[in-house]
Amino acid sequence: MTMIQTKDVTKVYQMGKVQVHALRGVTVTIGKGEFVGIMGASGSGKSTLLHMLGLLDRPSSGSIALSGIDIGVLSDRERARFRLKRLGYVFQDYALVPELNVQENVFLASMVRGTKMLDYLSSTAQILALIGLGDRMAHLHNELSGGEQQRVAIARAIVDHPEILFADEPCANLDTASSRTVLDLFKTINMEREQTIVMVSHEEWHKEYFDRVLTLQDGLIIADTG
Amino acid sequence: MLTVLIIAMVFTNMIFMPSIVMGFIKNAEHQIITYSTGNILVEPVKDEEYITDVDSLLAKVNRVPGVIRASAQYSMGATLKNKAYKIGRPVIAIQPSNERLVTDVSKNMKEGDYLGDGELGQVIIGIQTAGHKDPTEDMGPTLGAVGVGDSVTVEYTNGVVRNYRIKGIIETFSYSADQDVYVTQEEMESVLGHPLDVATHVLVKTEPGVPEAVVKTQILRFGVREQVKTWQDLLEDAMGRAVQNFSMLNSITLIVSLVIAIVVLFIMIMIKTLNSRRQIGVLKAIGIEQGIIINNYLLQVLLLTILGIVLGVVVVEGMVAYLTVFPFKFPDGDITPYVTFSDLASNTVLILVAAMIAGYIPAWQVARMDILTAMRA
Repeated sequence: MTMIQTKDVTKVYQMGKVQVHALRGVTVTIGKGEFVGIMGASGSGKSTLLHMLGLLDRPSSGSIALSGIDIGVLSDRERARFRLKRLGYVFQDYALVPELNVQENVFLASMVRGTKMLDYLSSTAQILALIGLGDRMAHLHNELSGGEQQRVAIARAIVDHPEILFADEPCANLDTASSRTVLDLFKTINMEREQTIVMVSHEEWHKEYFDRVLTLQDGLIIADTG
Repeated sequence: MLTVLIIAMVFTNMIFMPSIVMGFIKNAEHQIITYSTGNILVEPVKDEEYITDVDSLLAKVNRVPGVIRASAQYSMGATLKNKAYKIGRPVIAIQPSNERLVTDVSKNMKEGDYLGDGELGQVIIGIQTAGHKDPTEDMGPTLGAVGVGDSVTVEYTNGVVRNYRIKGIIETFSYSADQDVYVTQEEMESVLGHPLDVATHVLVKTEPGVPEAVVKTQILRFGVREQVKTWQDLLEDAMGRAVQNFSMLNSITLIVSLVIAIVVLFIMIMIKTLNSRRQIGVLKAIGIEQGIIINNYLLQVLLLTILGIVLGVVVVEGMVAYLTVFPFKFPDGDITPYVTFSDLASNTVLILVAAMIAGYIPAWQVARMDILTAMRA
């Protein structure tokens, strides 16, 4: 089953009088349950591609379909709903809401989605137990290590079973041990839930976790192991 | 905490200054009703000097529903002398038994006693005419600190000269009432040399809770052809311009306070949202809609504003309580702040509206930023 399908996606940024071609025509298909790594040097366009696929930005041309839906025709509000209901995100710097504790951070999006309180409390407890933070629910973000905060961010992203999980360099701020914990978690989720994951990384050793690696250079896919 | 404190101070400022101004106005209202005019004042027909057939008028007015009592006064110019002291004052002739039911002058005797019906050769005078033992307390020319039992010479404008024994000194703390000089109607009749069947004005006391305007209408319906004025009419004549100016002053205070509140809240929310741009970007990336993010900031503003208002109410009520016990001392009496529930309610609504406007604009500006720009902040 195809989860992501892009055709000739380009992105051009206007920097004053200069045009920067971040993506030059990316065509790719990603199936359900794949753990895909997007790799490449700095400035290769990997984060730009993730932003396009994750509906955080619009391409200059080309088309993107997620779960068979052409997202190019969606309004801003529909795109926000699509992100909320069907996608999950993990960011480089965890991006937890500092005023909320671990449990509240995890169920925040569920609450906005309109999930019943008993359901989201239950699913939050389950997911926090899965990531090994079941006993830290009342803690604030500054009482957690970087690795623990990223695990909370992952729990927030997957608590409502998104169709696709996007991760933008989630291990960039972590040491190797914490990175392995996070990647192991991604792999477990991918295997046990058949979760489709698209992750941007620049660490070569992360490749061992990916089912498939897309390598970008100057806005084009130059290698695809799939 | 600082924001709550600022809102509390703004709220206090919005209420407190106008409450002092209202205190002045209420004091003037109280004094005019209690010591000078009663609830309603009947004056001679326009261009006439006296109310004629005053007994018939009093009988009519006393029959009007809502009237407790009407009291006629006859005023005549005179010069009062005590040793080297000499001042001009109108001498007011009254029927003390009627007057007791209409004004509270009889309840404000600093020394001695109020007049009795039919008493001759006696006068009661206000403290600002008698003079204080400490002359610095006098606000104008006096008789040089005369007291009860002293003699005062009164030269009426009709040429009659009388020596009166001072029976009582009045102190109401109304500068106007504390200058008054009273004798009985019988004493005035002896001065005039004929029965007193005219009056310069008639004071009318109405029952509490009965609107003066209603009683005024009733008096006119009873066939009274003289000028009938409620205390509100008189206050409008005497202080209308001042009241308008006070209202303008209150409005300026209110607007300035609201602008301060808006600017402070705007800056606070702007700083907060600018510092939270990345977080807002992340929330939008997750799929949380702009409206929810804006509402979240508005809720924060609302909570801070409510806390500020609660603190402001405590401060205002505390100041009112203190100034009720230790009022501002003014020549025309003690001034206490006058705060009503509607003042608190209307100012609460105003500051809440101001806070919502001040909170919405910066929250909207940041929340509408595109996701990646916000996340890179």
